[in-house]
Amino acid sequence: MLTIARGELIQIFRNRLVLVTALVLPAALSAFFITKHDVFTEMGSLGYVATLALFFVAGIGLYTTSVTTLASRRQNLFLKRLRSTAAGDAGILGGLLLPITVLSVVQIAVILGALAAVAGTPADPLLLVAAVVSVVAMMLALGLATAGLTNSPEHAQVTTLPVSVGVLAVAGWIGATGTGDLTLLKRLLPGGSATELVLNAWNGGKPLTDSLVLFGPTVAWVVVAVALAARLFRWEPRR
Amino acid sequence: MSTTPVIDVDRLTLTYGGFPAVKDLSFQVERRELYALLGTNGAGKTSTLETVEGHRTPASGAVRVFGKNPRDRAAVRPRMGIMLQESGFSPDLTVRETVGLVGRLTERSDDVGRVLGVVDLTRKATTKVGQLSGGEKRRLDFATAVYGTPELVFLDEPTTGLDIQSRDALWDAVDRLREDGSTVVLTTHYLEEAQQRADRIGLMHQGAFHREGTVAELTRTLPSTIHFGLPPHAPTPPLLASRGADGKFLVETFGLQKDLHTLLGWAEDHAVELQDLQAGPTRLDDVFRAIEHS
Repeated sequence: MLTIARGELIQIFRNRLVLVTALVLPAALSAFFITKHDVFTEMGSLGYVATLALFFVAGIGLYTTSVTTLASRRQNLFLKRLRSTAAGDAGILGGLLLPITVLSVVQIAVILGALAAVAGTPADPLLLVAAVVSVVAMMLALGLATAGLTNSPEHAQVTTLPVSVGVLAVAGWIGATGTGDLTLLKRLLPGGSATELVLNAWNGGKPLTDSLVLFGPTVAWVVVAVALAARLFRWEPRR
Repeated sequence: MSTTPVIDVDRLTLTYGGFPAVKDLSFQVERRELYALLGTNGAGKTSTLETVEGHRTPASGAVRVFGKNPRDRAAVRPRMGIMLQESGFSPDLTVRETVGLVGRLTERSDDVGRVLGVVDLTRKATTKVGQLSGGEKRRLDFATAVYGTPELVFLDEPTTGLDIQSRDALWDAVDRLREDGSTVVLTTHYLEEAQQRADRIGLMHQGAFHREGTVAELTRTLPSTIHFGLPPHAPTPPLLASRGADGKFLVETFGLQKDLHTLLGWAEDHAVELQDLQAGPTRLDDVFRAIEHS
């Protein structure tokens, strides 16, 4: 897995388009949110700024790059090449997705760290870490499922839109309005309960048990996405 | 020493969307053999090969490689090298990085520099794969297949797109692999390559074996041929010959040496020049044409 991951890391830094999508764009947008945190705090809360930054990295950097990477490696038969070796399927997927996952997690840590330094620390850092992990897992699983529907890197520009725009919209909506109304709907939407979790972790003021329940919908999305990926994912281009 | 065949295919059937691509195919490949799987377009060669490699699941039948299921990658892949029909490489990695990456994943050990030397890609070691020509990519593909001198090597149309020098170099490398004890399974459209090098050949047509055997066994069922032309007013030749539209004579014979001797003696006795005389044993091309016309 690490051998494949090393090759992927090299490719990320050699491919300008991937580099911009995976690193520069989310980092630039997050930097904007941090510098304008007082404006966004007025719209929602400081947790709202953290949520937007998290979902920009996870929704654009991690999710879109994962789908594009898998579609590209399938289209040029690199997946088939890897399956011609002794590497197992889990190792291949792990190796392909590990670099962008690590880069995204590091980005999130740096961005949220910067936000904490500039605007104030989160009320429950451990809960925040758990929330970030759950979001990363959900976006990776959704990426695997979407890759099954995506024929090429160009096609990924279309197939990733519903989820990437969707989770950002959900995060923006819930971050600004909370879950006081339409609670069930908001929590069941992809990223909905995770957004609430990040808000609780950063802003505080909610019992821990209330927050723990919020992991349920996110875990459910992971399960659904993995089940879809198991059905949809292909290792070779369609004949 | 084990007598278990390296490859054992028993009544293999493959289907695509209900369409049978390969039907009830059985064959074995012994240790150190060079076995060529040949056939007409769409005969099912690559599908068969990819099933033996472990890339596809049979609809029915059994495939064993080294006595194991080839889909058990951890068990069989360290012992086999695969040259796919189409290259699958990342264009942003260099040639050296690619051979190193794929080589390490085979779990065999080798020196990347040595392998690049085998396929004459040393000068391209730091070139990105996306900048290679089609022939260079085929050589790179071959390099990854022979990394670590595997016991079994699959070569799916290895010389397609290669110039004559590269072809010769590739076959020299295959000869060295065989000297080291490797078993080779080959598909190719260049029949002369199979005729020269294969120990045994499986001839596929419409998803099934049409014939299987050594080159001699495959070609002995068809007659050898003698082609020649005669000047105007020459006497009738001594052999039963048909005449083509170009006026040339064609003799089909299972006794090439005797009939050729008869013809040459007749020509000398009658002071007749045999124009454009060509004589030769049956070639695989002739066997192929016979299959296509059958």
